[in-house]
Amino acid sequence: MLQLIKKRLIQLVFVLFILSLVIFILMKLAPGDPVLTLLHADEMSITQADEAALREELGFDQPVLVQYGKWMLGLIRLDLGTSYLKGRPVLDELLDKLPATIQLTASGLAVMVAIALPLGLIASRYPNRWPDHVSRILALVGASIPSFWMGLLLIYLFSLKLGWLPTSGKGSFAHMILPSITLGFAMAAVYARLLRSGLLDSLSQDYIKAARARGLAERRILMGHALRAALLPVITVFGVSFGNLLAGSVVIETLFAWPGLGSLALEAIFERDYPIIQGYVLATGLFVVVVNLLVDLSYSLLDPRIRLGKGASS
Amino acid sequence: MPQIMDKETTHMEKAQQENAASPLVAVEAPVLEVSQLQIFTRQEKQQRPLVHGVSFVIPRGETLALVGESGSGKSVTASAVLGLMSGSLGISNGEIRFRGDNVLDWPNKKRRGLRGREIGFIFQNYQESFTPFITVGKQMNETLRSHEKLTRRQAKVHALEWLEQVGLPAERVYSSYPFQLSGGQLQRAAIAGAMMLQPSLLIADEPTTALDVLSGEKVLDVLASLQKRTGCAVLLISHDLRHVVKRASTIAVMKDGHIVELDTAEHILYHCHHEYTQQLLNARPYIT
Repeated sequence: MLQLIKKRLIQLVFVLFILSLVIFILMKLAPGDPVLTLLHADEMSITQADEAALREELGFDQPVLVQYGKWMLGLIRLDLGTSYLKGRPVLDELLDKLPATIQLTASGLAVMVAIALPLGLIASRYPNRWPDHVSRILALVGASIPSFWMGLLLIYLFSLKLGWLPTSGKGSFAHMILPSITLGFAMAAVYARLLRSGLLDSLSQDYIKAARARGLAERRILMGHALRAALLPVITVFGVSFGNLLAGSVVIETLFAWPGLGSLALEAIFERDYPIIQGYVLATGLFVVVVNLLVDLSYSLLDPRIRLGKGASS
Repeated sequence: MPQIMDKETTHMEKAQQENAASPLVAVEAPVLEVSQLQIFTRQEKQQRPLVHGVSFVIPRGETLALVGESGSGKSVTASAVLGLMSGSLGISNGEIRFRGDNVLDWPNKKRRGLRGREIGFIFQNYQESFTPFITVGKQMNETLRSHEKLTRRQAKVHALEWLEQVGLPAERVYSSYPFQLSGGQLQRAAIAGAMMLQPSLLIADEPTTALDVLSGEKVLDVLASLQKRTGCAVLLISHDLRHVVKRASTIAVMKDGHIVELDTAEHILYHCHHEYTQQLLNARPYIT
């Protein structure tokens, strides 16, 4: 277990290093010029001298490699640079917005579990009967509707027509409901189907028949024995698609004016605020790697054969 | 384990009272009485018969071996007794009487109460007798507590006792995952699990087929000694006449869903009538 964590942490350093290199190069290759954006923001006439001065101030006159080296040196000291636009350290900006994003992602996941778990359980209980068909249609709908459109529909219905919930912003619990549902519903669709097939698979195993032969209650067999095996594929997919979840949260944060990392990143992209973008991508990379580490750890919790380093001896 | 014993005696008393109340049943009803059992399989609305009117009786303390080639319907019959047939199978006719009651009339929940408690089951596939990612002890504990009002600690003491009875290092096996045990150990742990509630019927579906000969013999020895101690009836299912001839009191030979011959083991061995039984006996290697 400790060995695994150690291995993963070393891996993490490499992943982040490569990620930082790629981000930096892409940023330099990307069209647009932060200097011009910054100067235009002031709405004043710009001279060549102004432009050159700003370039020098931001270090753009130096070779790209030197720029990267400087950024890297800062990174080691956890200094991600300073936002061009706001003049604040990038790390502070990110940490300011992080709680909002965590809150949104967590509540989105809660909605996902709340929908996917019962839907998957019911669908596997009655395969190819009407509860299964309903869940299949819901899954198709959930997977097909783009989340921004789904969000707009929800805003239209619950905020404009019914006036129950606020359209956007962050504050009370009510503000969280629509973004969480929008984020959770799309994911729930996929996971409900995944859970269904996982459960159907594990319920057909001989050890489930053995558990029935021991006279265990069906509920107990389902929750204690079958579900645990069915969670493995679900968690695998979750780890792989965690990046998508973060990407999805950018759209939803923008749609609902949720002041999180996603909207910060989007704003930074429009304004060519390179340090923020770089910091955001690095942070995202860090999350993805950490989540995948957690996924690996959860494998060994769910299946002792992985933890104890021995396959089934069949 | 006093709780279990108490329950056992009350159960017996109740059975005796029931027997006394009914003038028709003068003696104790046999543990299992299968009569004219017909099982069919559904294939695209067509019903195809699998088992054609099978009948046999197992009294208390006796062993009946159901012998036949694969596909003869012996395993299906066993799962019908247990009440765990797969969804595509159905019972069209016949009775399965457990201690005098036709369990086919019972609701599902009541039948579940029988499984594990009154009917123990041992599988051929010992690898899957226990859920692979839960320790053997936890699963024994779970089984005990599903049927009896016991605390975790009491259940553990009881489970350890039974693991010892089947000749296993109890503490170690209790805290092991199934894949950490050898096949023979696992099958004996499964026997402990099936016998610890002292069921009146034990169904063993090819319990030794997946084991090597020595482990298999050991498993059968353990079964025999536990049967002697608890006095349970055993339904032993096997494709191998050589294995069961010396273990069973009665042998039923099954072929294509019929019982073609049913007699005491001795009679089968020396005076069998049916040509199929003869074939099975001849297939048995002799050591001279």
